[in-house]
Amino acid sequence: MVGLTASLSNLSRSDGSASYKCPATGYDLLGAVNAPIELPARRDALKPEEATVEVFVKPGNTTAGVGERYVEGILRSVLSKVVLGRERGFPRRGVVITLAIVGGETLDRGDSYLTILPALLHTSLLALLSAAVPLSMTFSATLVGVNKSGAIITDLSAADAKAAASLHVLAFSSKNHLLLNQSEGRFDFDTWEQVRDRALSICKDMTTPGPDGDIAMGDEADSSRPEGFVRETVEDRLYKDYSWKIDSI
Amino acid sequence: MASSSASTAAPAAPNSLSLPPSQFARLQPHAYLLAHLSPPSSSNQPSIRANGRAPSQFRVTSANAGSLTHTNGSAVVRLGDTTAVCGVRAEILHTDDIASWSVSQSTNANKRRRIGESEKETEAKDEEDRAHIEDLNLLVPNISLSTGCAPGFIPSAPPSALAQSLSHQILSLLHTSRLVQAEDLRIWYQPPNLGPEEAQQHNDEEQMDLDAGANEEETKPAEIKAFWVLYIDIMLISLAGNPFDAAWASVLAALRDTKLPKAWWDVDNESILCSDDVKESQKLSLRGLPISSSFCVFEADAAAGWRAVVIPDAEEQKVQDSKHGSQQQKWILADPDGYEEGLVQERVYLVVDKEEGKTVIVKMEKLGGWTVDSEDLRQLVDISAQRWDEMKRILDQC
Amino acid sequence: MNDRRRVNGPPGGTRPPVYASLLQSGTGADTRAQRQRQPSDLRKIFLKTGLIPSASGSSYLEFEPSASLAAARSNPKSLIPPSSALKLACTVHGPKPLPRSAPFSPNLVLTTHVKYAPFAARRRKGHVRDSSERDLGVHLETALRGAIIAERWPKSGLDITVTILEAEDDRWWGDVPDSHDASWGMMNVLAGCISAASAAIADAHIDSEHRSIVSACVVAYMPARDEITELWLKGDSSKVSTADGDQRSGHEALIDGAVDAARGAHTVLAEAVRESLQKTLGQS
Repeated sequence: MVGLTASLSNLSRSDGSASYKCPATGYDLLGAVNAPIELPARRDALKPEEATVEVFVKPGNTTAGVGERYVEGILRSVLSKVVLGRERGFPRRGVVITLAIVGGETLDRGDSYLTILPALLHTSLLALLSAAVPLSMTFSATLVGVNKSGAIITDLSAADAKAAASLHVLAFSSKNHLLLNQSEGRFDFDTWEQVRDRALSICKDMTTPGPDGDIAMGDEADSSRPEGFVRETVEDRLYKDYSWKIDSI
Repeated sequence: MASSSASTAAPAAPNSLSLPPSQFARLQPHAYLLAHLSPPSSSNQPSIRANGRAPSQFRVTSANAGSLTHTNGSAVVRLGDTTAVCGVRAEILHTDDIASWSVSQSTNANKRRRIGESEKETEAKDEEDRAHIEDLNLLVPNISLSTGCAPGFIPSAPPSALAQSLSHQILSLLHTSRLVQAEDLRIWYQPPNLGPEEAQQHNDEEQMDLDAGANEEETKPAEIKAFWVLYIDIMLISLAGNPFDAAWASVLAALRDTKLPKAWWDVDNESILCSDDVKESQKLSLRGLPISSSFCVFEADAAAGWRAVVIPDAEEQKVQDSKHGSQQQKWILADPDGYEEGLVQERVYLVVDKEEGKTVIVKMEKLGGWTVDSEDLRQLVDISAQRWDEMKRILDQC
Repeated sequence: MNDRRRVNGPPGGTRPPVYASLLQSGTGADTRAQRQRQPSDLRKIFLKTGLIPSASGSSYLEFEPSASLAAARSNPKSLIPPSSALKLACTVHGPKPLPRSAPFSPNLVLTTHVKYAPFAARRRKGHVRDSSERDLGVHLETALRGAIIAERWPKSGLDITVTILEAEDDRWWGDVPDSHDASWGMMNVLAGCISAASAAIADAHIDSEHRSIVSACVVAYMPARDEITELWLKGDSSKVSTADGDQRSGHEALIDGAVDAARGAHTVLAEAVRESLQKTLGQS
């Protein structure tokens, strides 16, 4: 998780957007959120008391296939739990998240989506924040591998991921709930518990103190950790947007 | 079934509301299921689901293999009211039809034959097996829900998002579990050891392009001439919840039933010919027996997360839950039926295998909520391991 | 063609296996399946309704395997099956409101879908409906439309879906060169579809017009050998009282009735063969 870069609100015509780059895996993503919007075509499927979250994943060099449908389902289930779809103005409407894979390794037929999943999750979170969609909590995700000799490896490259005995993607909410777990390969439960602890520490090691932080502060700022990274990206953007005001004080 | 169990297990349904249980179930599905799962403590009844099962009980499962004539292997799996039919059809992929074959393979295959079986080479061999199956698309699973299996799936429409993601899940599980061995799918050809004259003669006949002078003494390395491609098609005839378990079990049973005819490269015809003799055909030798079990989490108050002003920390929540001890807040239901699936968001999918009595997790997926963590997952792995024993018995009998 | 909504096989395509024994001409003729029934003998069928609870009506139909197939199953020698036996599942959804986009209809709109499973026939079938499947759908609709009182459900739709798990073909595998699903096999399939669909409709408690068997023959006639290979009656199962408590026995009675009727019709068979063959073909 070293050297992640992201920026918010790059697209002017969507309600919110984010671009995200993960150097370890080489993925470069662009996410856009439109919310709340009317979805007349899906009138029958809309839920009366909450918002419908729709996720679209577009690979960079081809049209979406069965693998994208699957990963869209995973993202939808995580995000609809985090989006406060019952807030005013949201019920019976849609929250539409579009994620384009701009760069990085192409995923072939039947390939596991685990390597790109954390990047997809972070991009959609940043785009949701940029669109000011009410969220019950934020989250962060990480990819952890276990290699053939049983050692836990982090910051996996695509080659590492291919060689690993098992791969795990875990997402934790800002309140330490396990929001998502996707594990595949061959492993036993004790290994998974170690992986879980490791992933939690990767996601949580820190909570970056904001300048006027109103949430629990950690000891030190560390933007290499996903959650602090999310916070920092948002802060950067806010600082930029309100520079006129901050400067005038 | 719902009505009979409701009258005994759901005294919570007020009598003043003179609705038959079946209508109560439709109007207030969440309250209906909750009433079943949390009987009043005075009644001393165990919590039981609206369908009469205990929370960790799977539906009655049956499997029947080999009943379809036009397949190499087939199976019907019934999981309660969910029925999946799987047919495996094998076709031949000539290496001539693979665009990148001649470049990548000719060197590779020769190398592989010469090297010993040290650890590095085993790894290289594993990688080659993986590459053959995954990169050449030798396994082609597709699931179809457009069979009128449930209302809401338009027949003869293109595959729905659910069907597509199920197809992907099955393919991905076939790949990660490495169930099918690449060696079973290869069709080898051992070029004859020709003397110089014969070779000359064959060259004249344009039979093959071989270097007559170079290695006449050496045994020619065998080469792969073709692969079997397995088209694995799953028709979901009836869908009443938990499509993945039923589909995967049917794939597993059908692959266990699959027989591939003996095939060889026929020099005269320049094509692959097969023998129709059953005795010469080969069953697939599958790696392990990964069994999937799905669970869903039913929450007493589904909207708790929405209403809470501040969502408690995971640790705090644990403490709170233990305080609430007597009043259970969530139930983990094994093998959910269609009715239950409509009431839950959080799901857990597990695929486990057993090696020498030891449980190995092949896939563990948890999504859609925040209530399940390691303790619950550990229990679910144990339940899945028990389910493995049960399914193994069922599959061994079919 | 690359279908992004499905898992695709090798891009270069694959070939079905070729059996060496079939390449040698002349062999195989003795092992070829011989009809062992009398021309007027009907095969036993297995029909069960109500297997799919989420549908308003459903049925599963299976023909008794021929003697040669049964023998080949119990004592397998060759991987080439001598014949196959029809197996199909039918569901009825509805009557339900028409979708918003559909124009107003004073009658029940009947939609039929017939789909072969990819592994149903001798040749692997594609996932997209081909012309023969659409054809069968039209035939089925024609056969059923007359039986349903469509005026009773204005603005409603009725979806009938037939999934063929194993199709029937009367020619042997050996005749590979020109054999695709010839209409002989298809007519059996159609007969099965109609029987199964009527059973499913009755299972769905949808009133049909005539409370008697509408019997029409679907006959396969093999001119080359001058013998009738298959005969099946399509029966309108509305004879079964729709309010009966025990449907299963009702249907069994219905099938027996249909079988009896077929036997009765046997005396006029010689004429009926030609007539109904034309009729069936003429329907398209």
